[in-house]
Amino acid sequence: MAKYLVVVRGTGIPSTLSPQEMQKIIQKYVSWAEELRKSGRAVQGEKLRAGEGRVLRSQGGKMAVTDGPYAETKEIVGGFWLIEAGSYDEVLTLLANHPHLDSPGSLEVREVEDTSRRG
Amino acid sequence: MVSRLARWLGAARLDLAEEAVQDALLRALATWPFRGVPAEPRGWLFQVARNRAVDLLRREASLRGKLDGFDGWLEESPPAPALGDDELAMIFMCCHPSLPPAARVALTLKTVGGFSVEEIAAAFLAESEAIAQRLVRAKRQIREQAIAIEIPAEEELGGRLDSVLDVLYLLFNEGYSAHGGPNLTRAELCGEAIRLAEILAGNPATDRPVVHALLALMLLQASRLPARVDEAGDVLLLAEQDRGVWDQELIGRGLHHLDRAASGRTITAYHVEAAIAAAHAVAVDDAATDWGYVVRLYDDLLAIKPSPVVELNRAIALAMTEGPAAGIAAIDRIEQDPALARYYLLPAALGRLWLEAGDPERAARYFEEALTRPCSAPERRFLERQLTKCRPGIPR
Repeated sequence: MAKYLVVVRGTGIPSTLSPQEMQKIIQKYVSWAEELRKSGRAVQGEKLRAGEGRVLRSQGGKMAVTDGPYAETKEIVGGFWLIEAGSYDEVLTLLANHPHLDSPGSLEVREVEDTSRRG
Repeated sequence: MVSRLARWLGAARLDLAEEAVQDALLRALATWPFRGVPAEPRGWLFQVARNRAVDLLRREASLRGKLDGFDGWLEESPPAPALGDDELAMIFMCCHPSLPPAARVALTLKTVGGFSVEEIAAAFLAESEAIAQRLVRAKRQIREQAIAIEIPAEEELGGRLDSVLDVLYLLFNEGYSAHGGPNLTRAELCGEAIRLAEILAGNPATDRPVVHALLALMLLQASRLPARVDEAGDVLLLAEQDRGVWDQELIGRGLHHLDRAASGRTITAYHVEAAIAAAHAVAVDDAATDWGYVVRLYDDLLAIKPSPVVELNRAIALAMTEGPAAGIAAIDRIEQDPALARYYLLPAALGRLWLEAGDPERAARYFEEALTRPCSAPERRFLERQLTKCRPGIPR
């Protein structure tokens, strides 16, 4: 079993949605997350604070810190999941019915490399 | 949720309440999937919406530079009224008699029903922009006239309740008279009208016979919704409908409320219309319907609410007991009524009766006349089908 990081990126929800429509969407996301937890594959899942973030870069030998949100990127990272799975294919199967894929947002999957096993 | 918050903030701040609830829902969407749903989701949402509303109010107040005496009020907890009272109070505000009728309907759907402007526009075949304008004007009027979110006092309750029932009936008919089509929202209108009537029926303040009568009428009518069109979306007559798909659960609930409606002393148009709907609902087929009883109910309805449309319906019921000639004679009396000049069902009914009376050529002329009047696409197809029956073999 390897661990996979799933980064949830979104463009925000249009403010024209009615409370009824919003509730339906919330229900879909919550159901998906409950399914994942029941499957026992969820290691961790966290929401990230909206509108905050720091980017560190070296500039002429000194550390430069810039604040987010990052105006140049349209997509906001809303949260992440750490999922246990046997392969990429298995993760993709777990994510196939994620309601986020009905939105203009995206899910990015990265395998966490287990460096302890390296000879 | 919006109702509860708006009642605390005051009707003039309806927009603020809507915005705060929207923000709370966005926060729920960002949080709940990761952290799980809180033990009391509604309480959580209300708390977040309330905090958000307070933030927005503070910002507004500090922009205007008048924070004095403001914070004390904000620290007060919102009142905890009886369950369902907030929504009921909001319904009364939205249906206030001083608002134009179209605005009452839009406001009720938006504020109590939680429909979006786009959904309301789709349901009423109007432009979103027009609906948005209507809502803005209504909210301004509420502010200017200081219309409160409250359940009216006993002495004015009757009149205010009539206005609410008018809106619900309008809402229901708008949904009911649309024939399927791609727009599911319209079926939701019937559902919403029933939901709101149930709130009224379930609250001690408005648990009155007339409310049960309207609720019974809507439930009984709604029970036939699935049978009113065939697979192609074409209109079916009562006699052609598959009564097996009538919703027996709705019929049961309708009859229950009709029973409770009978407890009062006043008989309203809703009572009689519900009784007519019940007469159809309990008959196993068209032939088993007690048409004589239906005609007498239409007589009662005419006494309460004289209208050429009711006369037309009575004439059709009369034809079922006494034959087409009696029906045609009854329609003759209202044929020139200006209120029916553009009503396609008048010539359509005459066409139907003349066909039954054995004069297909005359029937055909009436169906042709009906086709020149405004009607929906499925209704048009229905009329064309009837026309083909009158003149078989003539290709159209």
